[in-house]
Amino acid sequence: MAVRVRILGRGERLVEYRPGMRVIDVLRELGLLSNEYVVSRNGRVVAEDEEVSDGDELVLYPVVSGG
Amino acid sequence: MARCSVCGRPAVYVDRAGGVAFCEKHFLEYFDRKVRRTIRRFRLFRPRERIVVAVSGGKDSLALLHYLVRLSRRVPGWEVKALLVDEGIKGYREYTIKRFERVAGELGVEYRIVRFRDELGYTLDEIVRLGAERGLPYKPCTYCGVFRRYLMNKAAREMGATVVATGHNLDDIVQTYLMNVLGNDWEKVARLGPVSGPASHPRFVRKVKPFYEVLEKETTLYAVLHGLYDGFEECPYAPLGERWEIRRLINRLEEQRPGTKYSLLRSLLNALEILRRAGVAGDGEVRSCAICGEPSAHPVCRACLLRIELGILELSEEQLEKLPREAREMVLHALRLREKRRRRASGGAASPADRGRGDSGGAG
Ligand SMILES: [Zn+2]
Ligand SMILES: [Zn+2]
Repeated sequence: MAVRVRILGRGERLVEYRPGMRVIDVLRELGLLSNEYVVSRNGRVVAEDEEVSDGDELVLYPVVSGG
Repeated sequence: MARCSVCGRPAVYVDRAGGVAFCEKHFLEYFDRKVRRTIRRFRLFRPRERIVVAVSGGKDSLALLHYLVRLSRRVPGWEVKALLVDEGIKGYREYTIKRFERVAGELGVEYRIVRFRDELGYTLDEIVRLGAERGLPYKPCTYCGVFRRYLMNKAAREMGATVVATGHNLDDIVQTYLMNVLGNDWEKVARLGPVSGPASHPRFVRKVKPFYEVLEKETTLYAVLHGLYDGFEECPYAPLGERWEIRRLINRLEEQRPGTKYSLLRSLLNALEILRRAGVAGDGEVRSCAICGEPSAHPVCRACLLRIELGILELSEEQLEKLPREAREMVLHALRLREKRRRRASGGAASPADRGRGDSGGAG
């Protein structure tokens, strides 16, 4: 199974779920830096060390980009 | 799971440099304390101010507008309005304007939208095309930055502003700092303080950066928590150039050594103090543009010169005669350049001496 990751403005990705996986592991899997995204898990903003569950949906809000 | 250092609830934010974590409520308190400290420390606002927030419709400027409108409810002498400069970039600006108008409506804040099209006669898209046709060496961000600053100052003054607040955050500042250090440009570094000025020109409105000490991740989180960040647009002209690489570099460093960005900011504040004592002024002398009367570092302002080079501002023989000598020479030089480029654009190779005058607008 997988964790669904929606990156605002950049489409959707799937990351294979592993037991004990945390938000930061999902980001690493995608080659992303944790200080470049605010992450919400199933609709609630979470810190990077939050554990994820199989079938979760993460939304990533890019921190970079001006304005 | 990280828990709030204050109350033990699940954390929404971990401040690795400070070794603390916050839940939503305590993050917002931390954020508020931090911005109020910046405002106090650098004396950004006085007890009575008519503040105009420069917004783009992006998350940082909307977060700033939201924050200042709320703060102003506790400060009787403050009045907050918003100003958006619409440069007319198709497929981008219309979305951010929509979001801006929704947020401004929800906050009940008075606002004005100023358009390149109305003020200059052309949108940025059209100006970029014109510039390319005429063989001008400038990047889109140069036109955008020059005209945006010009119109921002003018429109804010017309709105009665005593101060303009912009959404620049700590990340923007330290990126620009590092870029200017690498370019060995200390006059530009000297302009990176939280307050621009003190230009004593009657038409110049002071600019301040209340998010000067706030990380980009924190302004983003503030925007997400308040529903101000519901879409992501990227400017089609956004250069994937040096700034992008510098930002990546700094973010990687921060990931490995939390606190790197704060160190860079402290370094900048020290540099500003050293530069001030050495007499390196960031703003220099301010005079009035001989053509439009707006504040300018030169006899003719950059906005007027660019318009002449683009061929969207023509001066009559008579107007030209009336200009002070220095200003007239600047205009004549621009006209000669224009003629040379015109001839080159209609055939003939560029000489190396004519190249390399391109510059970038930076974070405007
Ligand atoms: Zn708490
Ligand atoms: Zn001018």
